[in-house]
Amino acid sequence: MSEYFDRIQSGIAIDDVEIIDIHAHLGPYFNMHIPACDARSMVRNMDICGIDKAFISANLSWNSDLVLGNKMMLEAIRSHRGRLYGACSVNGNYPDLSVSELERCFSEEKDVKMIKIHPFLTRCKLSDSRMEGIYEFASRKKLLVLVHTWLDNCPYGNMDLFTEVAKAYPKVKWIMGHSGGPFGSYHAVELAKQTKNIFLDIALSMCPAQQIEFFVKELGSERVLFGTDNPFIDPRAQVGRVGLAQITHKDKVNIFSANVRRFIDFR
Amino acid sequence: MREATMKEKLHFFDCNCSIGRTGYPHLLDISDVQGLKREMEIAGIEEALVYHSISRDAHPPLGNSLLLEKIKDMKELHPVWVVIPHHTKEMDRPEKLLKEMKKKGIKAVRMYPTRNYHSFSLSEWSSGELLSSLEGSRVPLILDIEIVSWEDVQAILKSHPKLPLVVSNCSYRHNRFIYPLLEKNNNLYIEISRFMGGGAIEDLVRRFGAHSLLFGTNMPHYTGTAAVALLTYADIEDREKEAIASGNLRNIIEEMWP
Repeated sequence: MSEYFDRIQSGIAIDDVEIIDIHAHLGPYFNMHIPACDARSMVRNMDICGIDKAFISANLSWNSDLVLGNKMMLEAIRSHRGRLYGACSVNGNYPDLSVSELERCFSEEKDVKMIKIHPFLTRCKLSDSRMEGIYEFASRKKLLVLVHTWLDNCPYGNMDLFTEVAKAYPKVKWIMGHSGGPFGSYHAVELAKQTKNIFLDIALSMCPAQQIEFFVKELGSERVLFGTDNPFIDPRAQVGRVGLAQITHKDKVNIFSANVRRFIDFR
Repeated sequence: MREATMKEKLHFFDCNCSIGRTGYPHLLDISDVQGLKREMEIAGIEEALVYHSISRDAHPPLGNSLLLEKIKDMKELHPVWVVIPHHTKEMDRPEKLLKEMKKKGIKAVRMYPTRNYHSFSLSEWSSGELLSSLEGSRVPLILDIEIVSWEDVQAILKSHPKLPLVVSNCSYRHNRFIYPLLEKNNNLYIEISRFMGGGAIEDLVRRFGAHSLLFGTNMPHYTGTAAVALLTYADIEDREKEAIASGNLRNIIEEMWP
């Protein structure tokens, strides 16, 4: 039985290990009602289960306006110092604007630390040449880049395309968002074994049984990152998945935060 | 670790579990009863309503019969049958079917219409007699929203106001369908395995009360750990958590066979 069993069953936050969420968002979204989508509500839900920090990008950045999205992200991280950090949104359909947003956000705000790409919503292929400026920026700064991936039905950002790009830019740490979705686990592990700069994100609403155990067994916990998709998905569910997983405490510490700590300087 | 007051553990009664192998597993082959029980133990879930995947993916009568054999004498697992209308005589007429279900202790039924599954209509001209019989006996009907439409759900709620209708697999994208239906219907229940929008449980409970939510996981395809934490960490009253974890489902079952 997990060391966190009693705590999670009683609804008490995990507080003996730092928890850093590398996959969170912010704000409303066009095709759903999200009750707790403002920064304050998101941080409150993080507090309830013990999440210390989260990297956020605004929901409207990809199928709407990336500049407005980044503005929302900056306002949120400035009003929640030490809790919220920025993932700058980019869109390959706007290559020059994307690079200027990267330069602006990273120079204006020290707590912007990552890049988020959503090929499915922007309908811009990861291999599109217009993405190159974004990748060069990330490579120059050796950043973590989170990319939404799905096994099926995504001609713009499926797992194989993601891996091609990851191989082409080895200085970047590429996070496979959702690890390809609920049916993507085997392929995610296969690709991550081939490509050392790929890391797997656990954020999902359809969470396969023993997926985290499978990732750790096949790949090692050093390559698995804690993500929630908050507020699309309530972050408390993902804390339960890792907290109750049948893996060692050290593996949980790696997933919850130690891995990210190796790549990001929070000072 | 900071000392914290441990509350009494919630008793979880899961309304959405299955056994049996499928042709398209999400990840691992967890197809037998022991596999399900192991997943329940990891997540801390004590009881479950269970159907057999053969009933859904192959042939309802075969799967229903296999289910009873597999979970015989397991008090923590309660049988759910998958049913189809009687017209082709693959299944008995509703009166006879219901008698058999009562005798065998069936606690709910599931239906899989649409062409990709059992290829029948939920409309009154096809399923009306069966739905009326279920309604008369207050047998809960579980429908997967990935398979039926919200229009189907609304039509059944309207035509069968005393039928406990559980919609499973409701995701974080469904509030705009769910809220207007909850405003108008007392017999609609939402299963929470994927009801994971940020603050979704708190918001629904605040607006409609806790009586419409039922704990579910879709084990062993999904882990039960996510749904457990979603509820234990919910910012609602303990009595509301207890109702969602098991009380609401138990009430529905107690009201069967009036």
